[in-house]
Amino acid sequence: MPGKTATPPRITKFTNCRIIRGNQLVEQDVWIDSLSGKILRDQEAFYELHMSPDEVLDLGGRILAPGLIDVQLNGAQGFDFSVPKSSKEEYDEGLRMVNKGLAKTGVTSYLPTVVSSTPEVYWKVLPSLGPSGAKHRAEDGAESLGAHVEGPFISPGRNGIHKTDVLRAAKSFEDVVGCYGKENMFGPSKTVRMITAAPEVGSMVNNIPNLTAQDIIYSIGHSDATYEQAMSATKQGATMITHLFNAMRPFYHRNPGVFGLLGQNEHRRPFYGVIADGIHLHPTSIRIAYNAHPNGLILVTDAMKLCGLPDGVYDWTNGERIVKTGARLTLEGSDKIAGSSATLIECVNNFRRWSGASTAEALNAATATPARLLGLEGVKGTLDCDADADLVVLTDAPDPYSGPTLTIDQVWKRGVKIYDAEKEATNSRV
Amino acid sequence: MRVIIRETALEASEYIADYIISRIKAFKPTEDQPFVLGLPTGSSPEVIYKTLVQRHRAGEISFRNVVTFNMDEYVGLPRDHPQSYHSFMYKHFFSHIDISPQNINILDGNASDLAAECASFEAKIARCGGIELFLGGVGPDGHIAFNEPGSSLSSRTRVKTLAYDTILANSRFFGGDVDKVPRMSLTVGIQTIMEAREVVIVATGAHKALAVEKGLEGGVNHMWTLSALQLHQHPLIVCDRDATLELKVKTVRYFEAIEQSGTDARTQGPPLVYRPRTYVPAPMGASKTNQQPTPASTPPRVPKDLRINTQLNQTLDDEELTPDSMSSRMVDSAISGLDSTLKGDLMFDRMGTRVISH
Repeated sequence: MPGKTATPPRITKFTNCRIIRGNQLVEQDVWIDSLSGKILRDQEAFYELHMSPDEVLDLGGRILAPGLIDVQLNGAQGFDFSVPKSSKEEYDEGLRMVNKGLAKTGVTSYLPTVVSSTPEVYWKVLPSLGPSGAKHRAEDGAESLGAHVEGPFISPGRNGIHKTDVLRAAKSFEDVVGCYGKENMFGPSKTVRMITAAPEVGSMVNNIPNLTAQDIIYSIGHSDATYEQAMSATKQGATMITHLFNAMRPFYHRNPGVFGLLGQNEHRRPFYGVIADGIHLHPTSIRIAYNAHPNGLILVTDAMKLCGLPDGVYDWTNGERIVKTGARLTLEGSDKIAGSSATLIECVNNFRRWSGASTAEALNAATATPARLLGLEGVKGTLDCDADADLVVLTDAPDPYSGPTLTIDQVWKRGVKIYDAEKEATNSRV
Repeated sequence: MRVIIRETALEASEYIADYIISRIKAFKPTEDQPFVLGLPTGSSPEVIYKTLVQRHRAGEISFRNVVTFNMDEYVGLPRDHPQSYHSFMYKHFFSHIDISPQNINILDGNASDLAAECASFEAKIARCGGIELFLGGVGPDGHIAFNEPGSSLSSRTRVKTLAYDTILANSRFFGGDVDKVPRMSLTVGIQTIMEAREVVIVATGAHKALAVEKGLEGGVNHMWTLSALQLHQHPLIVCDRDATLELKVKTVRYFEAIEQSGTDARTQGPPLVYRPRTYVPAPMGASKTNQQPTPASTPPRVPKDLRINTQLNQTLDDEELTPDSMSSRMVDSAISGLDSTLKGDLMFDRMGTRVISH
């Protein structure tokens, strides 16, 4: 009920905590302002405005990190971004539920990802998936930074579990615009932030400059591109690779394919998504990629709506069905992997264990690096002054089975605490 | 003069932190009667701040009712520049304690009228009733605050040009570029420090040894501004062993003997008195008005002393606790025979008296 809840303290100071500075954890206080939803220029506020914290939180040496950013997420809580509902209201209601659920896993912003679909589906769902921007309230939970459309301009041979019937090839930029809908690509109503497409399909390579001109990220993925084709896409402005190794031509020593982009120095090496769920990739593959291009690695979950649901057979898009066995999801009647059901913090833990990256480096791969890809440096994925106060409090404790493990204790969105594991535990006990 | 010697810089710093805490606690500051603390910057004080912050976190001390005045600040350096003393104080002390920002006073090196800024700083000190305890460091050339060698010993808060030595020394904080070091600073004067009821100086490291020697054993001299404290009533110098390297063995032993005989400086500060927050233009003279009971009969007429105190000296309000001198006690001391030699020329009388009276 509005007005019934007590107003949260305006200025909160986190102390006795470790934060990320570059590739290290350092001890430093962080001040946030729930009014502006930003991280305070604390010294200036102190001397100039005579502000002092209304609340001081002693984190007891725990880690304070920026809220996690997931650039590839298909759904959660039984809700799938790619499945339109009977009405927009119903769809938006499901989306709200996802946002709240996601926030509890430490993900404070993300790119809702729509898999290959018919144009009608894009026209229906994309208007709901655009960036929430300034109207986003803390209690809404995770925030969309714009939609990620994965397909349908992908290689039929590297479709993964995307339905081949809906795949298409773009002859011109008009084909691309027509598929997603003009209002989703241009102007203030723009909802698309990133497109995954195969450069070798149709004339996609020539469309890349048109996309980047609209400030839409072009990501190479679901592609059978050779090294040369991948290079020409990079030359045209591709800055990302969608789930590296998965759904692409494998590395071959005479032609390294898309993976070869991480070894070249001709163009800027692209960022690349990695699904570190222990099913999609062998730990050593992740390590090889990380060693080749450490600053470009972005952890993604590629999680889908079944995340958190019990084992069984579930309906999926386009009338197909998915079998869930533990964390493993496969398409019914095949053993093709159908996305993951891992959370991003689990991926961070796996990645840290496998790659030898420091805690700060592992967290950067889910915070600062995706923010850099999205052009949100200094706004998201950082605890620098004036950045959005999206934070997670993490405990780094040894787990008897898997070694040091980060767990989410608290989640803060725009300066307001929206999740507290401790409180949650007390509530469930009652 | 009280001198405390500790083996290491850390121990010396901890001693001072303890001392400050005990003084604030004994004062029992309230919102209306805050404890007024003068503060320095520098590498030696940094350790003190660290200790104070630890004690604060442990819940031993609150700075809620403490008002602070900082000694100095560069002129023309942006307030939030990483090397400004605002930044230093924020980073090492203020951001970690419960002091309220309104209670912090640091000179504004970017004020449009620097002279007015200095005058208002002095006035603010006066309005708070003067500084209770002034903590300070000392430079290798004996300077306290930015009162470089040659500063007037009766100086007040003012603009001061930095000595070349200081610019060279501080260039390490500006990427080794001498040209980036500000040329001027605002600083409290020697007289401002001398008017604090108590002055505590930290001197650690061998490079401070000469300054300590000149300040303690030399005469009062504007080339070693530390020596002005010889004229102060309640100075306390805390050194590490290295900082005593240039002192006479006799001087060191003397101060050590005082401490060993059970005198703890932590119980020896001046009486803590709250001074009313009235505006008194600096320099400040304490007033003493004792309400006399109405006499039974008309008192006999006594010729009044009509002279005006033009020196504006401090009154004897804050005088020594014990009137006798150390040398008078030394007749009976182990150093018999020295008393006649020492009589009248040893300046360390006050501490000697404490040895016995404690």
